[in-house]
Amino acid sequence: MSTNDIVRDFITHEMLHETLTDSLGDDEQLVESGIIDSLGIMTLLSFLEEKFSIQISGDDLIPENFETVSTIVNLIERYQA
Amino acid sequence: MDFEFTEEQKNIRKTIIDFARQELNQGVAERDRNGTFSRELWDKCADFRLMALPFPESFGGDGFDFVTTVSAYHALGYACKDVGLVCALATQLVCGMQVLLFGDESQRTGFLPDLALGKLIYAQGITEPGSGSDTFAMHTTATKKADGYVLNGTKTMISNGPVADRALIYAVTDQTKKTLAKISCFHVSKHDSGFSAGKPMEKMGLRTLANGELVLSDCYVPAASVIGREGQGVIIFSEAVEWERVLFPACSLGQLERVLEECIQYAKEREAFGQPIGEFQAISHKIAKMRINVELGRLALYSAASLKNRRKRAALETSVAKLFITESLKQACLDAVQIRGGYGYMSEYDAERDLRDSIASTIYSGTTEMITNTIARLAGL
Repeated sequence: MSTNDIVRDFITHEMLHETLTDSLGDDEQLVESGIIDSLGIMTLLSFLEEKFSIQISGDDLIPENFETVSTIVNLIERYQA
Repeated sequence: MDFEFTEEQKNIRKTIIDFARQELNQGVAERDRNGTFSRELWDKCADFRLMALPFPESFGGDGFDFVTTVSAYHALGYACKDVGLVCALATQLVCGMQVLLFGDESQRTGFLPDLALGKLIYAQGITEPGSGSDTFAMHTTATKKADGYVLNGTKTMISNGPVADRALIYAVTDQTKKTLAKISCFHVSKHDSGFSAGKPMEKMGLRTLANGELVLSDCYVPAASVIGREGQGVIIFSEAVEWERVLFPACSLGQLERVLEECIQYAKEREAFGQPIGEFQAISHKIAKMRINVELGRLALYSAASLKNRRKRAALETSVAKLFITESLKQACLDAVQIRGGYGYMSEYDAERDLRDSIASTIYSGTTEMITNTIARLAGL
């Protein structure tokens, strides 16, 4: 699975409680739509840091980095670089 | 997995226990009766460097890791009968963690030394008259101006509020955005124009902790007062809650251990019907239940503390620790009164004050009901 697929899969199943991963687009707004809220962001961070063996610092814990699947993937890739 | 305290941690704990018993417990009943926060005791704790523990030496702290800090506050909660004072100190640390984790270098350098040394008292302004559990429904606003922000709103029941020199104020910076991006965190001074603090509010327990209103009336703060970035407030708060839900339960677990010890001693000494009351199953089972909860509480606490020590996310673990320990404490304090009968109900003895103090622990930093909701959601519901 690509990083996009992994992120999309997690958000779809764990936050939207849906089964069809295709229902979530890479550029669909996650923060503005309320899909990622205050508890959701901590759940997502926990998953991302565990899954990709990264530790996201305070400077990067800004809503803009979690706006869409694409911005989340960009963030992960920056840490993996 | 090693659950033993290190020799250093044991020494720190012993030193704190001795300090608290010698310096902090005298006159606690009177302070509780009068609802008095003691600045003198705060300063003693500052001199003892209780607020410096987790902060790097470069910012005036002592550079201990978080597990060591938790073990220290666990010991403080055990030995210090002034639970309100303990909460005041823990509040200071939680404020400091937010600056440490999210502040820029100039904020860390500028704010942390006075915080770690206890020279300035910090408060955290989140709760409002219309938003407690529904935290992010807050109405306090921060309107952006050319080179700063103007804050308007009222915070209430704020720990350390009436005595605070500085406060971290959470306010809405963009009402049009959804929860995650609409709130920011500001560092505010009591000297800032438009900032005022109310008198300590009367309350059932934790009467030595000053809680009150913080009023922001066209309070101007420079742009450099934003902790982290604009719109980062909810994430800062959510992270801070995880640290808070380890540090405060550490104090509660210490209190639970003290209550247990006192109950055991009382049950051995007090006789009824020709035998120590501890030999009656009705009493011994209450005490056994406390002992079980102490053991499980320790596991939950240090499991969560260990995760935070490694800078891991721990929403579930910290929620479980907070809920379990504080509910165990409340039940133990209720049982401690029941075990003592009429004596337990008298204000002359510690059990009555312990019970009043314990109730607050199941309310602040997330009520038991809200935390149960959180745990359910983290369980996938």
